[in-house]
Amino acid sequence: MTHAVKFHPGLMLLEQYVEGSLSADVALAVSAHIDLCPHCQQLSHDITIDQAASLGEQNVSAHDEQQDWQQMVDFITSQPGLSAASVQRSNALPQVASVTVNGRTFEIPRALSRLAEKHNKWLQLGGIATAKLPTGEKQHVSLLYIDKGTEVPNHTHLGLEMTLVLAGKIVDENGEYGVGDLLINSPDDTHTPRTLADEDCLCLSVLSAPLKFNKGLTRLLNPLQQFFY
Amino acid sequence: MLETTALTGHHDASNRQKRITQRMTITTDNEIRTGQWEDALTLVALNEDKLAYAELFKYFAPRLKAFGMKMFGNEQQAMEMVQDAMLNVWRKARLFDASRGCASTWIFTIARNVRFDMLRKKQSRKDDISADDLWFDGDYPEQESNSSEHWDTILMSEKLAPHFDALPPAQRMVMQKVYLEEKSHQEVSDELAIPLGTVKSRIRLALDRLREAFDDTRS
Ligand SMILES: [Zn+2]
Repeated sequence: MTHAVKFHPGLMLLEQYVEGSLSADVALAVSAHIDLCPHCQQLSHDITIDQAASLGEQNVSAHDEQQDWQQMVDFITSQPGLSAASVQRSNALPQVASVTVNGRTFEIPRALSRLAEKHNKWLQLGGIATAKLPTGEKQHVSLLYIDKGTEVPNHTHLGLEMTLVLAGKIVDENGEYGVGDLLINSPDDTHTPRTLADEDCLCLSVLSAPLKFNKGLTRLLNPLQQFFY
Repeated sequence: MLETTALTGHHDASNRQKRITQRMTITTDNEIRTGQWEDALTLVALNEDKLAYAELFKYFAPRLKAFGMKMFGNEQQAMEMVQDAMLNVWRKARLFDASRGCASTWIFTIARNVRFDMLRKKQSRKDDISADDLWFDGDYPEQESNSSEHWDTILMSEKLAPHFDALPPAQRMVMQKVYLEEKSHQEVSDELAIPLGTVKSRIRLALDRLREAFDDTRS
C-alpha cells in the first residue's frame, strides 16, 4: 500500500477505544482504521501498555485489598484450564473478507470481516449503493459504495458521521481521502463528498445518533476540530 | 541535546525475555519487580500452579475491581467482571506470551474485553459488535519507527511548557526524567520500577500528544 494515511482519530478517541469506553459502532470504525494504519497500530499498542501500567499504579483501598477473596480464588482454581487443543492461537496476519458490488470485489479489513460477510442486501440509488452491517437495530453501520464520478447529495445528520475509506478515493471541500483515512463530521458540518472521474470508492459509514453518545463522546464533541483534524 | 535515536531502541524485548527466563521463581514479598507476574503466569500455564495463581490474584483482583468500579459505577458488576477476568487468566494462562508484552497488559485487555462483552450481553443481540471484532489479539507487521522525527526543534521550543504540564502525570514523569534530567530509558525504568517497554510507550505517547497540540493534522 503506497498511500500514507493522513486523517487519524485523535488521541482522546484512541484512548477511549483502548479503554473500551467508546460506543461499539464508533469503536468499530476506529478499530478498522487501526487495521489500515500502522501509525495508529503503534499508538494504540502504546496506549494499551500505558493504561495497563496505570492499572497497577492506581491506589487500591484498604477495603478492597483486605476483602475476603478466598471464595473466588477457590472457585476459579477448581475450574479446568483450557485444553491444549483449544489454546492454539493464531498469530497470523488478520484475516480479511471481501465484498462484491457493482461488479467489483473489495477486501475488507479484519475488524469488519465477520460482520461484512453477513451484510444486508445492497440498496442502490444512482451511483451510490449502501449495505447495512448487522450490528443491531439502533446502529447505523454500513458499507457505502460510490461509483466513479459521483457526487453524494448534500446531507445533514443528527449525530456524528464517521466515514472510513476502505478502497479508492473520495474528495470533499476539505481535501482528498484515501485508504485508511477517517473523516469525522459533526452535525454542523455540511460537506459534499464526491469521487473522481476515474476512481470509485468503498467506505465504512457510521452514523451515531445523538442519544447514543456516552459521556466521553459528548466531551469529545465540543472541541471536535482540535481533536480530529 | 536531545537524543532522538534513543526513542527507537530495539533491545527491549530480548532483554526482557532474558530476564524472565533467568528468574523462574516467584517471591512472596510485596516488592513489585519486573518479571514477577510473567513468571507467575508461566507457572500457572505449565503446572496449574495454585500458589502462583493466588499471588497473581492477590495483586490484580483488587486493582481490577477498582477499574471495574470506575467503569461500571457499581460493585456487583465490578465483582462480576473481576471474577470473569480472573477466571480467564486461570483458564487461558497458556495463551500468555511473554515475548509479546507484560502480564499486566495481557490481564488488562482481558478485563477490558470481559467488561465490553458484559455490557453487550445486556442488549443480547446475536450479531452485535463483539470484543473480538474490536480488539485484534495478534501482532500487526512490525513497523519502522520514525515517530521521533523532527522533534528536537519542537521540544526545545518555549511554547512547549504549557503542553508539557498538561501531559498525564505518568507520561510527564517519564518525559521529565528523560529530557530534563537526561536519564537513559533503563535508568528511568529502574527508578520508577516499570518495565522498559512501558517507559518507551509513555515517551512515544507523550511525544504524540505534544505533536497533536502543535500540529492539527498529526501527519
Ligand atoms: Zn491512524
